[in-house]
Amino acid sequence: MKGSCLCGAVVYEAEAPGLLIGHCSCRTCRKAHAAPFTATARVPRDKFRWLAGADKLRAFESSPGKNRHFCSVCGSHLIAERPAEPHVILRVATLDEDPGVKPVVHIWRSHEMPWLAYEGDIKHFDEWPPGR
Amino acid sequence: MKGSCLCGAVVFEAEAPAGGLHIGLCACRSCRKAHAAPFNAYAAVPRENFRWLRGKDSVQTYASSPGKNRHFCSICGSQLVAEHPGEPDLLLRVALLDEDPGTRPVERIFCSQEVPWLASEGDIKRFDEWPSGRT
Repeated sequence: MKGSCLCGAVVYEAEAPGLLIGHCSCRTCRKAHAAPFTATARVPRDKFRWLAGADKLRAFESSPGKNRHFCSVCGSHLIAERPAEPHVILRVATLDEDPGVKPVVHIWRSHEMPWLAYEGDIKHFDEWPPGR
Repeated sequence: MKGSCLCGAVVFEAEAPAGGLHIGLCACRSCRKAHAAPFNAYAAVPRENFRWLRGKDSVQTYASSPGKNRHFCSICGSQLVAEHPGEPDLLLRVALLDEDPGTRPVERIFCSQEVPWLASEGDIKRFDEWPSGRT
């Protein structure tokens, strides 16, 4: 299946039958993604390749040996990886195709912030709230 | 209250409007792709209530639709704020705040664009840190 960043400069392909998707609420993911949590999944390196825009990627080392790669044009994070590990960690929200599986785990909930609560008494709207 | 990006190069200060921050979660396709996350947490603040404290020269901009500018840190890729130049408010990325604004999310918008593989509800095992056995 294919995935891409917001601006479309970077496109990748990942082959991963049986993708195990997990959400992560750790502080580093919160800050990197500017979101309550991100969605991740491991993909073996030999099942992942850049199809376009590899020259547009920029990396930030968020902890020793952990590189987070994002598009230098639009800022979308695409993968994270540790050079010594046999897999990359896909940012699953950038997929353009339904992998056919759903998240199975949610880690680092101890880092969740009360002002980013996403369950409970929150009104849901298909698009904008009425009048906006 | 203050906020900052992952690498700390960019720091900003924002004052909530009267009545407090009105926090919402947006699952639209652009937020999903920009943040590489199921949804983004936003809140409008008047422009005069917002200022960059540090790192403005590291801020880079992408126009995700005509007139909608999304600003991000060019060093670490954290999305910082979004804005339409003609509008009086900026849209804060609330997940970057380093202090509790005291209010809680009240709405989820663009639920019609949520994708099934990013569901945050249902049969998901939840852990405070790593799952048992992982470090």
